[in-house]
Amino acid sequence: MGCHPYSERDVMNVEISDVTRRFGRTQAVAGVTMETGPGVFGLLGPNGAGKTTLLRMMATVIPPSSGRVRLLGRDPAGYLPRREIRRRLGYLPQNLGYYPGFTVAEFVEYFALLKELPPGRVPQAVATAIDRVDLGGRARAKLRTLSGGMLRRVGIAQAIVNEPELLLLDEPTAGLDPEQRVTFRALLRDLGERATVIVSTHLVEDVGAACSAVALMDAGKIVFQGTPDELTARGEGTGAAGDAPLERGYSAVLAAARSATAAA
Amino acid sequence: MTFSREMTGGHDDLPGPGQDRCPGDVDLHRVWLGVAAEVWRRRPGLVERLAGRALRSPGLARALVTTPSLLLAWVIATAVVLVAGMFATLGTGTPFVALFAPAVAAAGIAYAYGPGIDPAWELSQSMAVSHRMVLLVRVLVVFALDAALGLAASAASGAAAAVTFGWLVPMTAVSALALAVATVTRSANAGAAAGLAAWAITVLSVHTASGQVATAVTSSALVLPYLAVAAAGGAIAWAATRIPKGTS
Repeated sequence: MGCHPYSERDVMNVEISDVTRRFGRTQAVAGVTMETGPGVFGLLGPNGAGKTTLLRMMATVIPPSSGRVRLLGRDPAGYLPRREIRRRLGYLPQNLGYYPGFTVAEFVEYFALLKELPPGRVPQAVATAIDRVDLGGRARAKLRTLSGGMLRRVGIAQAIVNEPELLLLDEPTAGLDPEQRVTFRALLRDLGERATVIVSTHLVEDVGAACSAVALMDAGKIVFQGTPDELTARGEGTGAAGDAPLERGYSAVLAAARSATAAA
Repeated sequence: MTFSREMTGGHDDLPGPGQDRCPGDVDLHRVWLGVAAEVWRRRPGLVERLAGRALRSPGLARALVTTPSLLLAWVIATAVVLVAGMFATLGTGTPFVALFAPAVAAAGIAYAYGPGIDPAWELSQSMAVSHRMVLLVRVLVVFALDAALGLAASAASGAAAAVTFGWLVPMTAVSALALAVATVTRSANAGAAAGLAAWAITVLSVHTASGQVATAVTSSALVLPYLAVAAAGGAIAWAATRIPKGTS
Protein backbone atom coordinates (compact mmCIF):
# COMPACT_ATOMS: atom_id res chain seq x y z
CA MET A 1 0.00 0.00 0.00
CA GLY A 2 2.76 2.47 -0.80
CA CYS A 3 2.97 5.14 1.92
CA HIS A 4 0.30 3.56 4.10
CA PRO A 5 0.45 4.81 7.70
CA TYR A 6 -0.93 1.64 9.20
CA SER A 7 1.08 -1.39 10.21
CA GLU A 8 0.07 -5.01 10.53
CA ARG A 9 -1.00 -5.97 14.04
CA ASP A 10 -0.84 -9.48 15.33
CA VAL A 11 -3.88 -9.21 17.58
CA MET A 12 -7.11 -11.12 17.97
CA ASN A 13 -9.78 -8.45 17.69
CA VAL A 14 -12.57 -10.97 18.16
CA GLU A 15 -12.34 -13.78 20.73
CA ILE A 16 -15.51 -15.78 21.22
CA SER A 17 -15.62 -18.87 23.37
CA ASP A 18 -18.56 -21.29 23.62
CA VAL A 19 -21.12 -18.53 23.11
CA THR A 20 -24.84 -19.29 23.06
CA ARG A 21 -27.88 -17.12 22.57
CA ARG A 22 -31.49 -18.06 23.15
CA PHE A 23 -34.68 -16.18 22.30
CA GLY A 24 -37.32 -17.85 24.42
CA ARG A 25 -37.34 -21.49 23.32
CA THR A 26 -35.34 -20.83 20.17
CA GLN A 27 -31.60 -21.52 20.29
CA ALA A 28 -30.22 -19.07 17.72
CA VAL A 29 -26.53 -19.62 18.51
CA ALA A 30 -25.48 -22.91 20.07
CA GLY A 31 -21.90 -22.87 21.33
CA VAL A 32 -19.76 -20.89 18.89
CA THR A 33 -16.03 -20.52 19.37
CA MET A 34 -13.95 -18.38 17.02
CA GLU A 35 -11.02 -15.99 16.93
CA THR A 36 -9.98 -13.56 14.27
CA GLY A 37 -7.51 -10.73 13.78
CA PRO A 38 -7.14 -8.15 10.99
CA GLY A 39 -8.42 -9.31 7.62
CA VAL A 40 -11.72 -10.00 5.93
CA PHE A 41 -13.61 -12.85 7.55
CA GLY A 42 -16.65 -14.29 5.82
CA LEU A 43 -19.55 -15.69 7.79
CA LEU A 44 -21.52 -17.94 5.50
CA GLY A 45 -24.64 -19.96 6.05
CA PRO A 46 -28.23 -20.48 5.00
CA ASN A 47 -31.08 -18.27 6.26
CA GLY A 48 -31.72 -18.88 9.96
CA ALA A 49 -28.24 -20.29 10.61
CA GLY A 50 -27.56 -17.76 13.39
CA LYS A 51 -25.22 -15.42 11.48
CA THR A 52 -27.15 -12.25 12.27
CA THR A 53 -27.52 -13.13 15.95
CA LEU A 54 -23.78 -13.81 16.22
CA LEU A 55 -23.04 -10.51 14.49
CA ARG A 56 -25.43 -8.63 16.78
CA MET A 57 -23.60 -10.03 19.80
CA MET A 58 -20.28 -8.89 18.31
CA ALA A 59 -21.85 -5.47 17.71
CA THR A 60 -22.74 -5.34 21.45
CA VAL A 61 -26.41 -4.94 20.52
CA ILE A 62 -27.39 -8.05 22.47
CA PRO A 63 -25.45 -9.97 25.12
CA PRO A 64 -24.84 -13.70 24.86
CA SER A 65 -26.93 -16.05 27.00
CA SER A 66 -23.72 -17.80 28.02
CA GLY A 67 -20.09 -17.99 26.98
CA ARG A 68 -17.26 -15.51 26.76
CA VAL A 69 -16.88 -12.60 24.34
CA ARG A 70 -13.87 -10.30 24.05
CA LEU A 71 -13.76 -7.59 21.40
CA LEU A 72 -10.67 -5.49 20.67
CA GLY A 73 -9.14 -6.97 23.81
CA ARG A 74 -12.01 -5.82 26.03
CA ASP A 75 -14.98 -7.38 27.77
CA PRO A 76 -18.17 -5.73 26.42
CA ALA A 77 -20.10 -6.61 29.58
CA GLY A 78 -18.64 -3.59 31.40
CA TYR A 79 -19.92 -0.10 30.60
CA LEU A 80 -16.56 1.63 30.02
CA PRO A 81 -14.99 -1.18 27.94
CA ARG A 82 -18.20 -1.45 25.92
CA ARG A 83 -18.16 2.28 25.23
CA GLU A 84 -14.54 2.06 24.09
CA ILE A 85 -15.35 -0.90 21.84
CA ARG A 86 -18.25 1.02 20.31
CA ARG A 87 -16.01 3.99 19.50
CA ARG A 88 -13.84 1.65 17.42
CA LEU A 89 -16.68 -0.38 15.95
CA GLY A 90 -18.50 -0.14 12.64
CA TYR A 91 -21.77 -1.98 12.19
CA LEU A 92 -24.12 -2.36 9.25
CA PRO A 93 -27.32 -4.11 10.36
CA GLN A 94 -29.22 -6.41 8.02
CA ASN A 95 -32.14 -4.00 7.99
CA LEU A 96 -30.72 -0.52 8.06
CA GLY A 97 -33.29 1.95 9.31
CA TYR A 98 -32.84 5.51 8.13
CA TYR A 99 -34.34 8.90 8.74
CA PRO A 100 -35.98 9.86 5.44
CA GLY A 101 -35.64 13.60 6.03
CA PHE A 102 -31.89 13.45 6.59
CA THR A 103 -29.44 14.00 3.76
CA VAL A 104 -26.68 11.46 3.14
CA ALA A 105 -24.11 13.76 4.76
CA GLU A 106 -26.37 14.49 7.75
CA PHE A 107 -27.04 10.79 8.37
CA VAL A 108 -23.36 9.85 8.27
CA GLU A 109 -22.48 12.86 10.43
CA TYR A 110 -25.15 11.96 13.01
CA PHE A 111 -23.67 8.53 13.57
CA ALA A 112 -20.11 9.89 13.53
CA LEU A 113 -21.12 12.10 16.46
CA LEU A 114 -22.84 9.22 18.26
CA LYS A 115 -19.60 7.24 17.85
CA GLU A 116 -17.93 10.11 19.71
CA LEU A 117 -15.61 11.04 16.89
CA PRO A 118 -13.92 14.34 17.87
CA PRO A 119 -16.14 17.08 16.34
CA GLY A 120 -13.18 18.68 14.57
CA ARG A 121 -12.52 15.47 12.65
CA VAL A 122 -16.14 14.83 11.70
CA PRO A 123 -16.45 16.84 8.42
CA GLN A 124 -13.32 15.24 6.90
CA ALA A 125 -14.35 11.77 8.12
CA VAL A 126 -17.85 12.19 6.67
CA ALA A 127 -16.48 13.35 3.30
CA THR A 128 -14.03 10.45 3.18
CA ALA A 129 -16.66 7.85 4.05
CA ILE A 130 -19.15 9.18 1.50
CA ASP A 131 -16.46 9.31 -1.16
CA ARG A 132 -15.37 5.74 -0.46
CA VAL A 133 -18.85 4.44 -1.21
CA ASP A 134 -19.09 6.59 -4.35
CA LEU A 135 -21.96 8.75 -3.13
CA GLY A 136 -20.19 12.08 -3.51
CA GLY A 137 -22.67 13.22 -6.13
CA ARG A 138 -25.62 12.53 -3.78
CA ALA A 139 -24.18 13.81 -0.49
CA ARG A 140 -26.88 16.46 -0.16
CA ALA A 141 -29.75 14.27 -1.36
CA LYS A 142 -32.47 13.32 1.11
CA LEU A 143 -32.41 9.64 2.01
CA ARG A 144 -36.03 9.26 0.91
CA THR A 145 -34.94 9.97 -2.67
CA LEU A 146 -32.29 7.23 -2.86
CA SER A 147 -32.56 3.75 -4.33
CA GLY A 148 -32.13 0.60 -2.22
CA GLY A 149 -28.56 0.11 -3.41
CA MET A 150 -27.67 3.71 -2.59
CA LEU A 151 -29.18 3.38 0.88
CA ARG A 152 -27.06 0.28 1.42
CA ARG A 153 -23.99 2.34 0.53
CA VAL A 154 -25.09 5.05 2.97
CA GLY A 155 -25.20 2.31 5.60
CA ILE A 156 -21.68 1.24 4.70
CA ALA A 157 -20.52 4.88 4.88
CA GLN A 158 -21.83 5.31 8.43
CA ALA A 159 -20.18 2.01 9.39
CA ILE A 160 -16.73 3.09 8.19
CA VAL A 161 -16.89 6.79 9.11
CA ASN A 162 -14.84 6.25 12.30
CA GLU A 163 -12.24 4.07 10.52
CA PRO A 164 -13.23 1.14 12.73
CA GLU A 165 -10.84 -1.49 13.97
CA LEU A 166 -13.72 -3.95 13.97
CA LEU A 167 -16.21 -3.72 11.11
CA LEU A 168 -19.32 -5.91 11.11
CA LEU A 169 -21.36 -6.04 7.93
CA ASP A 170 -24.60 -8.00 7.71
CA GLU A 171 -25.51 -8.76 4.09
CA PRO A 172 -23.65 -5.67 2.82
CA THR A 173 -24.09 -6.43 -0.88
CA ALA A 174 -27.87 -6.84 -0.72
CA GLY A 175 -29.37 -4.45 -3.27
CA LEU A 176 -26.06 -3.58 -4.94
CA ASP A 177 -25.77 -4.05 -8.68
CA PRO A 178 -22.92 -6.23 -10.07
CA GLU A 179 -20.63 -3.26 -10.75
CA GLN A 180 -21.16 -1.86 -7.26
CA ARG A 181 -20.50 -5.29 -5.75
CA VAL A 182 -17.13 -5.53 -7.50
CA THR A 183 -16.22 -2.04 -6.24
CA PHE A 184 -17.43 -2.91 -2.75
CA ARG A 185 -15.31 -6.08 -2.62
CA ALA A 186 -12.23 -3.96 -3.44
CA LEU A 187 -13.20 -1.62 -0.60
CA LEU A 188 -13.54 -4.62 1.72
CA ARG A 189 -10.07 -5.88 0.84
CA ASP A 190 -8.66 -2.40 1.48
CA LEU A 191 -10.42 -2.10 4.84
CA GLY A 192 -9.26 -5.59 5.80
CA GLU A 193 -5.63 -4.56 5.58
CA ARG A 194 -5.87 -2.70 8.87
CA ALA A 195 -9.12 -3.77 10.49
CA THR A 196 -10.99 -6.92 11.29
CA VAL A 197 -13.88 -7.05 8.85
CA ILE A 198 -16.56 -9.67 9.42
CA VAL A 199 -19.02 -10.05 6.58
CA SER A 200 -22.16 -12.08 7.09
CA THR A 201 -23.65 -13.24 3.82
CA HIS A 202 -25.35 -16.08 2.09
CA LEU A 203 -23.69 -15.12 -1.20
CA VAL A 204 -20.76 -17.48 -1.64
CA GLU A 205 -19.18 -15.42 -4.42
CA ASP A 206 -18.70 -12.44 -2.08
CA VAL A 207 -16.65 -14.61 0.24
CA GLY A 208 -14.55 -16.07 -2.57
CA ALA A 209 -13.71 -12.63 -3.94
CA ALA A 210 -12.97 -10.70 -0.76
CA CYS A 211 -12.35 -12.94 2.26
CA SER A 212 -9.12 -14.43 3.54
CA ALA A 213 -10.92 -16.66 6.04
CA VAL A 214 -14.39 -18.09 6.24
CA ALA A 215 -16.70 -19.79 8.72
CA LEU A 216 -19.84 -21.65 7.71
CA MET A 217 -22.73 -21.71 10.16
CA ASP A 218 -25.70 -24.02 10.27
CA ALA A 219 -28.32 -24.43 13.01
CA GLY A 220 -26.49 -22.05 15.33
CA LYS A 221 -23.12 -23.78 15.09
CA ILE A 222 -19.94 -23.26 13.10
CA VAL A 223 -19.58 -26.38 10.94
CA PHE A 224 -16.52 -25.23 9.00
CA GLN A 225 -13.71 -22.76 9.59
CA GLY A 226 -10.80 -22.20 7.23
CA THR A 227 -9.80 -20.42 4.04
CA PRO A 228 -11.98 -20.14 0.93
CA ASP A 229 -9.55 -22.54 -0.81
CA GLU A 230 -10.05 -25.10 1.94
CA LEU A 231 -13.81 -24.76 1.61
CA THR A 232 -13.50 -25.23 -2.14
CA ALA A 233 -11.45 -28.38 -1.58
CA ARG A 234 -14.25 -29.87 0.53
CA GLY A 235 -16.47 -29.96 -2.53
CA GLU A 236 -14.06 -31.63 -4.92
CA GLY A 237 -15.22 -35.02 -6.07
CA THR A 238 -18.32 -35.02 -3.90
CA GLY A 239 -20.85 -34.26 -6.61
CA ALA A 240 -22.32 -31.55 -4.38
CA ALA A 241 -24.68 -29.01 -5.96
CA GLY A 242 -23.34 -25.66 -7.10
CA ASP A 243 -22.34 -23.64 -10.16
CA ALA A 244 -18.90 -22.68 -8.86
CA PRO A 245 -16.22 -24.64 -6.96
CA LEU A 246 -16.77 -22.63 -3.76
CA GLU A 247 -20.51 -23.22 -3.94
CA ARG A 248 -19.91 -26.95 -4.25
CA GLY A 249 -17.66 -26.80 -1.16
CA TYR A 250 -20.39 -24.91 0.70
CA SER A 251 -23.02 -27.46 -0.28
CA ALA A 252 -20.78 -30.41 0.60
CA VAL A 253 -19.94 -29.08 4.07
CA LEU A 254 -23.60 -28.28 4.79
CA ALA A 255 -24.72 -31.71 3.62
CA ALA A 256 -22.07 -33.44 5.73
CA ALA A 257 -23.00 -31.39 8.82
CA ARG A 258 -26.69 -32.12 8.42
CA SER A 259 -26.19 -35.85 7.89
CA ALA A 260 -23.93 -35.96 10.96
CA THR A 261 -26.65 -34.19 12.98
CA ALA A 262 -29.31 -36.57 11.67
CA ALA A 263 -27.16 -39.61 12.50
CA ALA A 264 -26.60 -38.33 16.02
CA MET B 1 -17.44 7.81 -10.72
CA THR B 2 -16.00 9.25 -7.55
CA PHE B 3 -16.51 12.69 -6.16
CA SER B 4 -12.95 13.74 -7.02
CA ARG B 5 -13.43 12.82 -10.66
CA GLU B 6 -16.72 14.66 -10.89
CA MET B 7 -15.16 17.78 -9.47
CA THR B 8 -12.25 17.67 -11.91
CA GLY B 9 -14.25 16.87 -14.97
CA GLY B 10 -13.55 13.16 -15.02
CA HIS B 11 -9.74 13.13 -15.07
CA ASP B 12 -8.83 9.48 -14.79
CA ASP B 13 -5.25 10.20 -13.79
CA LEU B 14 -6.37 11.24 -10.29
CA PRO B 15 -5.85 8.69 -7.51
CA GLY B 16 -9.00 7.03 -6.28
CA PRO B 17 -9.99 6.01 -2.76
CA GLY B 18 -7.23 4.06 -1.06
CA GLN B 19 -4.61 5.03 -3.62
CA ASP B 20 -1.56 6.84 -2.38
CA ARG B 21 0.80 9.48 -3.62
CA CYS B 22 4.48 9.46 -2.75
CA PRO B 23 5.81 12.41 -0.72
CA GLY B 24 6.41 15.48 -2.86
CA ASP B 25 3.40 14.97 -5.08
CA VAL B 26 0.21 16.90 -4.54
CA ASP B 27 -2.45 14.47 -3.44
CA LEU B 28 -5.38 15.88 -5.41
CA HIS B 29 -7.76 13.31 -4.05
CA ARG B 30 -7.04 14.48 -0.52
CA VAL B 31 -7.41 18.11 -1.62
CA TRP B 32 -10.83 17.44 -3.09
CA LEU B 33 -11.89 15.57 0.02
CA GLY B 34 -11.01 18.66 1.99
CA VAL B 35 -13.14 20.75 -0.35
CA ALA B 36 -16.01 18.27 -0.03
CA ALA B 37 -15.74 18.34 3.76
CA GLU B 38 -16.15 22.11 3.74
CA VAL B 39 -18.99 22.08 1.20
CA TRP B 40 -20.97 19.36 3.01
CA ARG B 41 -20.18 20.64 6.50
CA ARG B 42 -23.28 21.43 8.54
CA ARG B 43 -23.02 24.43 10.83
CA PRO B 44 -24.73 23.70 14.19
CA GLY B 45 -27.25 26.31 15.27
CA LEU B 46 -27.18 28.20 18.56
CA VAL B 47 -29.43 25.72 20.38
CA GLU B 48 -27.30 22.77 19.28
CA ARG B 49 -24.07 24.50 20.29
CA LEU B 50 -25.46 25.39 23.73
CA ALA B 51 -26.87 21.89 24.19
CA GLY B 52 -23.53 20.38 23.18
CA ARG B 53 -21.81 22.34 25.91
CA ALA B 54 -24.48 21.60 28.52
CA LEU B 55 -24.65 17.88 27.75
CA ARG B 56 -20.90 17.62 27.05
CA SER B 57 -21.74 15.60 23.96
CA PRO B 58 -22.14 16.89 20.39
CA GLY B 59 -23.89 13.61 19.56
CA LEU B 60 -26.56 14.11 22.23
CA ALA B 61 -26.98 17.73 21.17
CA ARG B 62 -27.59 16.55 17.61
CA ALA B 63 -30.09 13.95 18.89
CA LEU B 64 -31.83 16.71 20.82
CA VAL B 65 -32.31 19.10 17.91
CA THR B 66 -33.32 16.37 15.45
CA THR B 67 -36.00 14.86 17.70
CA PRO B 68 -38.88 17.16 16.64
CA SER B 69 -38.26 16.43 12.96
CA LEU B 70 -38.14 12.69 13.65
CA LEU B 71 -41.37 12.84 15.66
CA LEU B 72 -43.24 15.28 13.47
CA ALA B 73 -46.46 13.26 13.45
CA TRP B 74 -46.49 13.28 17.24
CA VAL B 75 -45.88 17.04 17.40
CA ILE B 76 -48.78 17.68 15.04
CA ALA B 77 -51.07 15.33 16.99
CA THR B 78 -50.14 17.04 20.25
CA ALA B 79 -50.86 20.47 18.82
CA VAL B 80 -54.24 19.35 17.47
CA VAL B 81 -55.30 17.77 20.78
CA LEU B 82 -54.23 20.76 22.83
CA VAL B 83 -55.84 23.32 20.54
CA ALA B 84 -59.07 21.30 20.65
CA GLY B 85 -58.72 21.17 24.44
CA MET B 86 -58.24 24.92 24.59
CA PHE B 87 -61.46 25.60 22.67
CA ALA B 88 -63.34 23.05 24.76
CA THR B 89 -62.04 24.73 27.92
CA LEU B 90 -63.21 28.12 26.71
CA GLY B 91 -66.61 26.71 25.85
CA THR B 92 -67.29 24.59 28.94
CA GLY B 93 -65.08 25.90 31.76
CA THR B 94 -63.63 22.44 32.41
CA PRO B 95 -59.75 22.37 32.13
CA PHE B 96 -59.61 19.97 29.21
CA VAL B 97 -56.07 21.04 28.29
CA ALA B 98 -54.80 19.90 31.66
CA LEU B 99 -56.81 16.71 31.52
CA PHE B 100 -55.66 15.78 28.01
CA ALA B 101 -51.99 16.68 28.34
CA PRO B 102 -50.76 13.70 30.42
CA ALA B 103 -52.41 11.24 28.05
CA VAL B 104 -50.85 13.01 25.05
CA ALA B 105 -47.45 12.93 26.74
CA ALA B 106 -47.80 9.21 27.49
CA ALA B 107 -48.41 8.41 23.86
CA GLY B 108 -45.60 10.74 22.80
CA ILE B 109 -43.07 9.07 25.08
CA ALA B 110 -44.15 5.55 24.14
CA TYR B 111 -43.83 6.31 20.44
CA ALA B 112 -40.50 8.12 20.77
CA TYR B 113 -38.32 5.07 21.25
CA GLY B 114 -37.95 1.39 20.53
CA PRO B 115 -37.64 -1.21 17.76
CA GLY B 116 -40.05 -0.49 14.95
CA ILE B 117 -40.48 3.09 16.20
CA ASP B 118 -37.05 4.59 15.70
CA PRO B 119 -35.92 3.52 12.22
CA ALA B 120 -32.28 3.44 13.29
CA TRP B 121 -32.91 1.77 16.65
CA GLU B 122 -30.69 -1.23 15.85
CA LEU B 123 -27.80 1.06 14.87
CA SER B 124 -28.31 3.20 17.96
CA GLN B 125 -27.77 0.13 20.13
CA SER B 126 -24.17 -0.11 18.91
CA MET B 127 -23.20 3.52 19.44
CA ALA B 128 -20.75 4.87 22.01
CA VAL B 129 -23.32 7.48 23.09
CA SER B 130 -25.73 5.31 25.07
CA HIS B 131 -29.14 4.77 23.52
CA ARG B 132 -30.52 5.39 27.01
CA MET B 133 -29.12 8.89 26.84
CA VAL B 134 -30.73 9.41 23.45
CA LEU B 135 -33.98 8.17 24.96
CA LEU B 136 -33.72 10.60 27.87
CA VAL B 137 -32.99 13.43 25.47
CA ARG B 138 -36.15 12.57 23.56
CA VAL B 139 -38.15 12.46 26.78
CA LEU B 140 -36.87 15.93 27.52
CA VAL B 141 -37.89 17.17 24.09
CA VAL B 142 -41.37 15.68 24.43
CA PHE B 143 -41.86 17.35 27.82
CA ALA B 144 -40.49 20.65 26.59
CA LEU B 145 -42.76 20.68 23.55
CA ASP B 146 -45.75 19.66 25.65
CA ALA B 147 -45.00 22.42 28.13
CA ALA B 148 -44.61 25.01 25.40
CA LEU B 149 -47.79 23.94 23.62
CA GLY B 150 -49.67 23.72 26.92
CA LEU B 151 -48.51 27.17 27.93
CA ALA B 152 -49.65 28.63 24.64
CA ALA B 153 -52.99 26.83 24.79
CA SER B 154 -53.74 27.59 28.43
CA ALA B 155 -52.96 31.27 27.91
CA ALA B 156 -56.41 31.49 26.40
CA SER B 157 -57.95 30.83 29.80
CA GLY B 158 -55.83 33.43 31.56
CA ALA B 159 -54.33 30.97 34.02
CA ALA B 160 -51.31 29.86 32.05
CA ALA B 161 -48.85 29.31 34.85
CA ALA B 162 -51.23 27.49 37.17
CA VAL B 163 -52.53 25.17 34.49
CA THR B 164 -49.10 24.45 33.05
CA PHE B 165 -47.52 23.67 36.40
CA GLY B 166 -50.67 21.88 37.46
CA TRP B 167 -50.40 19.27 34.75
CA LEU B 168 -46.62 19.05 34.33
CA VAL B 169 -46.31 16.84 37.40
CA PRO B 170 -49.05 14.35 36.50
CA MET B 171 -47.77 14.41 32.92
CA THR B 172 -44.33 13.44 34.16
CA ALA B 173 -45.77 10.55 36.13
CA VAL B 174 -47.89 9.22 33.29
CA SER B 175 -45.05 9.59 30.77
CA ALA B 176 -42.62 7.77 33.05
CA LEU B 177 -45.13 4.96 33.47
CA ALA B 178 -45.63 4.71 29.71
CA LEU B 179 -41.88 4.72 29.16
CA ALA B 180 -41.34 1.98 31.76
CA VAL B 181 -44.02 -0.28 30.30
CA ALA B 182 -42.83 0.34 26.73
CA THR B 183 -39.24 -0.53 27.55
CA VAL B 184 -40.10 -3.59 29.64
CA THR B 185 -42.53 -5.02 27.08
CA ARG B 186 -40.59 -3.63 24.07
CA SER B 187 -43.93 -2.46 22.76
CA ALA B 188 -44.87 1.17 22.24
CA ASN B 189 -48.51 0.14 22.02
CA ALA B 190 -48.34 -1.48 25.46
CA GLY B 191 -46.63 1.59 26.89
CA ALA B 192 -49.18 3.97 25.41
CA ALA B 193 -52.06 1.77 26.57
CA ALA B 194 -50.68 1.58 30.11
CA GLY B 195 -50.19 5.34 30.30
CA LEU B 196 -53.61 6.15 28.90
CA ALA B 197 -55.32 3.55 31.10
CA ALA B 198 -53.55 4.72 34.25
CA TRP B 199 -54.52 8.32 33.58
CA ALA B 200 -58.11 7.43 32.79
CA ILE B 201 -58.37 5.43 36.03
CA THR B 202 -56.87 8.33 37.99
CA VAL B 203 -59.26 10.89 36.53
CA LEU B 204 -62.32 8.66 36.95
CA SER B 205 -61.42 7.64 40.51
CA VAL B 206 -60.93 11.22 41.72
CA HIS B 207 -64.11 12.16 39.91
CA THR B 208 -65.94 9.43 41.81
CA ALA B 209 -64.42 10.55 45.11
CA SER B 210 -64.80 14.31 44.71
CA GLY B 211 -67.52 14.70 42.14
CA GLN B 212 -65.21 16.92 40.03
CA VAL B 213 -63.27 15.64 37.04
CA ALA B 214 -60.67 18.44 37.35
CA THR B 215 -59.52 17.29 40.79
CA ALA B 216 -56.92 15.00 39.14
CA VAL B 217 -54.93 18.06 38.09
CA THR B 218 -55.84 20.56 40.80
CA SER B 219 -55.45 18.58 44.02
CA SER B 220 -52.06 19.25 45.63
CA ALA B 221 -52.48 16.05 47.69
CA LEU B 222 -51.87 14.03 44.50
CA VAL B 223 -48.50 15.60 43.70
CA LEU B 224 -46.49 13.24 45.92
CA PRO B 225 -48.07 10.07 44.49
CA TYR B 226 -47.43 11.42 40.99
CA LEU B 227 -43.78 12.05 41.82
CA ALA B 228 -43.47 8.56 43.31
CA VAL B 229 -44.90 7.01 40.15
CA ALA B 230 -42.54 9.11 38.02
CA ALA B 231 -39.51 7.99 40.04
CA ALA B 232 -40.55 4.34 39.93
CA GLY B 233 -41.24 4.50 36.18
CA GLY B 234 -37.86 6.10 35.55
CA ALA B 235 -36.08 3.47 37.62
CA ILE B 236 -37.85 0.64 35.80
CA ALA B 237 -36.97 2.11 32.39
CA TRP B 238 -33.35 2.49 33.49
CA ALA B 239 -33.17 -1.12 34.68
CA ALA B 240 -34.93 -2.45 31.58
CA THR B 241 -32.47 -0.79 29.18
CA ARG B 242 -29.39 -1.91 31.14
CA ILE B 243 -27.28 -4.46 29.28
CA PRO B 244 -27.04 -7.45 31.63
CA LYS B 245 -23.79 -9.26 32.16
CA GLY B 246 -24.09 -12.05 29.66
CA THR B 247 -20.54 -13.30 29.78
CA SER B 248 -19.16 -15.84 32.18
